[in-house]
Amino acid sequence: MTRAHTALAMGTRVIAEEFTYQHADRQQPALSGLDLEIAPGEKVLLAGASGAGKSTLLHALAGVLHNDGADSAGQLLLDGLPPEQARGRAGLMQQDPESQVVLSRIGDDVAFACENLAVPPAEIPARVSGALAAVGLGHLRLDRPSAALSGGQKQRLALAGILAMQPGLLLLDEPTANIDPEGTQQVRDSVIEAVRATSATLLVVEHRLATWVDHVDTLVVLEPGGGVRHRVPAQAIHSDHTLRAELIEAGLWVPDHDPVGSLPPWSPAASFTPSPGLPGGFSSLSTPELLGQVGENTGAAREALLKGRELAVHRRSPRKSWRKAPPPVPVLSGVSISLFPGTAKGITGRNGAGKSTLMLTLGGLLEPHGGVLSAGADLKGDRGAHLPDSPHRWRSADLTSRIGTVFQEPEHQFVRHTVEDELRLSAEQARVPGTQQPLFTGEEVTERVDRLLDRLRLRDLVEANPFTLSGGEKRRLSVGTALAAGPEVLMLDEPTFGQDAHTFTELIGLLREHLDAGGTVLAVTHDREFLHALNAQEYDVTSPPPALPRPSSPFVAELSKDRAAIATRRVESPTTNAEDHQATAGEDQPVPAGTPLLSAVRDISWLGRRGPMAKLIALAFITVALISTIDPVSAAVVAASSFALLPVADIRLLTFLKRIWIFAVAALMAVWGAAIAAEESGRVLVDLGITTISTGSLEMGLALGARAFAIVLPSVLIFSTTDPTDLADALAQQLKLPARFVLGALAAMRLLGLLAEHWTTLGHARRARGLGTRFLSQAFGLLVQAIRMATRLAVTMESRGFRAGPRTWAREASFTRADAAVVLGGFVIAASATAAAIAAGTWNVVWVG
Amino acid sequence: MNISAHAPSRARWTVSDIVVVSTLAVASGVIFWGWNLSYHAVSTLFVAYPPTASLVAGMWLFPAVLGALIIRKPGAAIYCEMVAAAVSALLGSQWGLGVLLSGFVQGVGAEVILLIFLYRRFTLDVAVLAGAAAGLAGGINENFIAAYYQYDAAGTAVHITGFAVSGAVIAGVLPWLATRGLAATGVLGPLKSRKAHRERALHR
Repeated sequence: MTRAHTALAMGTRVIAEEFTYQHADRQQPALSGLDLEIAPGEKVLLAGASGAGKSTLLHALAGVLHNDGADSAGQLLLDGLPPEQARGRAGLMQQDPESQVVLSRIGDDVAFACENLAVPPAEIPARVSGALAAVGLGHLRLDRPSAALSGGQKQRLALAGILAMQPGLLLLDEPTANIDPEGTQQVRDSVIEAVRATSATLLVVEHRLATWVDHVDTLVVLEPGGGVRHRVPAQAIHSDHTLRAELIEAGLWVPDHDPVGSLPPWSPAASFTPSPGLPGGFSSLSTPELLGQVGENTGAAREALLKGRELAVHRRSPRKSWRKAPPPVPVLSGVSISLFPGTAKGITGRNGAGKSTLMLTLGGLLEPHGGVLSAGADLKGDRGAHLPDSPHRWRSADLTSRIGTVFQEPEHQFVRHTVEDELRLSAEQARVPGTQQPLFTGEEVTERVDRLLDRLRLRDLVEANPFTLSGGEKRRLSVGTALAAGPEVLMLDEPTFGQDAHTFTELIGLLREHLDAGGTVLAVTHDREFLHALNAQEYDVTSPPPALPRPSSPFVAELSKDRAAIATRRVESPTTNAEDHQATAGEDQPVPAGTPLLSAVRDISWLGRRGPMAKLIALAFITVALISTIDPVSAAVVAASSFALLPVADIRLLTFLKRIWIFAVAALMAVWGAAIAAEESGRVLVDLGITTISTGSLEMGLALGARAFAIVLPSVLIFSTTDPTDLADALAQQLKLPARFVLGALAAMRLLGLLAEHWTTLGHARRARGLGTRFLSQAFGLLVQAIRMATRLAVTMESRGFRAGPRTWAREASFTRADAAVVLGGFVIAASATAAAIAAGTWNVVWVG
Repeated sequence: MNISAHAPSRARWTVSDIVVVSTLAVASGVIFWGWNLSYHAVSTLFVAYPPTASLVAGMWLFPAVLGALIIRKPGAAIYCEMVAAAVSALLGSQWGLGVLLSGFVQGVGAEVILLIFLYRRFTLDVAVLAGAAAGLAGGINENFIAAYYQYDAAGTAVHITGFAVSGAVIAGVLPWLATRGLAATGVLGPLKSRKAHRERALHR
């Protein structure tokens, strides 16, 4: 073991005495009178029904609970200290991998907590490499972008960040709820190995008990709104039948228990007779013949609702446009897949293989890149016989009554203020194909909504804001919104991620009814039990080799392509060894079209290797020189210098031109604006009646246009060769801006690419719900997701010691001689621009009019 | 353990405040980007008389007021608008580094209004005033300080007025509505604005 771990003496003793906590504005306390003692080094699995206060307890122990307006009593002690004073003793890992990573490079991310705890800089590198090695990520380069890790790897990276603090207590809040089975096992094994090596105390919250129960000492069950209900040896879960029954009742996944057993017996594709009260009930859409076609056996005899042949898919639209590069190589191709009534299909396969992309394409939300996707006559329905074959070409209002899509994050689908309105929406939006006539009358809509409310057990929540529901309720509502307009085809993306056994069972019940009514289900999933419960056929996207050759790691290829396009320069090609392949195969959500993406890979050009502070000062000189005067001469000098400096930044002329031409268009607008709206002077060239174009106004316009264009060029050069992390280091260390704010902004900036993905998905969700394009709704949805992510990220940062107070920097920002040359260069350009303008007699200072 | 005792003072920023407002600024950058993609044609509407183009300029101002309404702490308007400006600079802004100056000036415009109300009122009227002030500051910057435009007197007046009106609506009314909507979703839990949806629109 490395120094990082030998330094640890022992685990932390945790004591809760009569601890009570009530969140602000809640009726009930989350925890009340909790008494618990956990011995140093004890491994505890913490369980309880949803809302039993498990997360609250973990947050309190991590010292990150301090909402004003909350009530609390009793005390929590870590080795005798209140959590707020035991900084660095406890490390917290939450559920969502994206918000467990703080910084863009993995080395920085692990060092973050050490820096916050003011660990001497000389000691940090050893801690970082030790922690990374301890979680099995030691082979990765320290400047590897954290965005390129899979969900499971992000959680292991988070664990490394925690271990680097050398904590005595690990607090894990459903650490594997959002990751696939393979990643789950790796995270679990890393955690167990880490607590073994460090003898840290472990407290883990998890719904799926089997993941942990055989690896821990103790099982603690919390009473909702109360304290400890049971504290038993973990092995009791296998033998104590009362305990098992109680946990099953609470919705937990108990080992060797099949929750679906509580549903009525089901034989797949036995009957398609729509029974009353079904949420789907495509009565107004499906043809009576459908019933006649029902066979007892295979789906082959029936006509497919949706049929894809030799499909090729990619997130980006295949269409060429003036703003895009040529269409990308499909992430997945040669896919032939048919969806038959009464049967379910599961798309499986490794992360990053394009499963979600395939689903969105089949769902008419993305355009196929190749092959043929066609809707069967039964899916189009009588009134939609004239619809185009490809669902992508349907109106949003026609799509929603034919194909319903359930997104992985239910909130992406929510667009109304109450549960009832949410359910009404799709039914109201649905139209008779080719017309503006609503598909359902007002009474029909009400009736559908009523049935759904009862079936989904959301009757008591009709007035509730959808975003305030519990996880299970949100999942049920999201399925309800997808079913509201009666689509035959239902698509679901990882519907069971993070769900408890109750919600899982209800979901299976709903989907079975949908199948019985002659609908079809297509799910992207890693969940074997889900596939089994629906008797789903599996379509593994990784097993049949794709028709087209593709790079070994499509995501990396895509990412570096995008990055190159945005950064206007070449970057170091990512290393590809077997482990890295694994490392990069994680993102199922490759970056969408033209997404702004900040590079985490440092530029290797001459300019790229210079300090950000120097570049910023140089840029400031040039910008001030340009802003202070409106004249074409200084603008020309700056523009010429920028082009001359391209080799220093290692940017090719063509790449640069592609990047800046849009700014030239903006400059032309400036020319035009001034030409017709500036003060008339000199000879009138064109008389437009109310206004004129004169020689004076045109000259002014040209000067303004040239200036506007010139002002962009150096900043493109500088910013495409500057990494935000380095810039932040410089701003905080050299410019002495407050570190809390600079690092807060930097951590938020890492979310840029992720938020851009959310934006795209929110757009898809609006189309799937029959809304078409809604800018404001999409923007609001983005703000909700942004704040959710930010809140979790803030907890992560705080639990890693981020707060006011002294802090060290693992990497010292320095100012070299070459940096001085950059500053001087900027000054020389600024000065020669001004000198040239003065010499030419065009220099006119703006502010002296 | 008295947790309320740890609650930060009225003016002090918590970690949540910092990270949320930074993320809002970054999300605003994404919204700018979405706006550019969806509404590239918008600017051509103003070809007939370019000074009126400022009528949609409120789009660039909304982070200032949104950040202030959500965080409710001194400096939120300036910080949020500056970070949003920095994001646009990093992504490539039409104004290069000048966008930081614009962000600062516009943020100051909104901040002044909130300061006048001592960071105690976050009602619709205050939001509209703050948006308008951000627009006014933006208009003054673009015509006189950074001087991206040199219109005649009428053009300048139209441009600045348009800026302020656009600020009042797009950066005043909309952020106020958004804050209420966000509070209703429960995501503002750790922040001072968490009950915004139950507050009155106007002060008496």
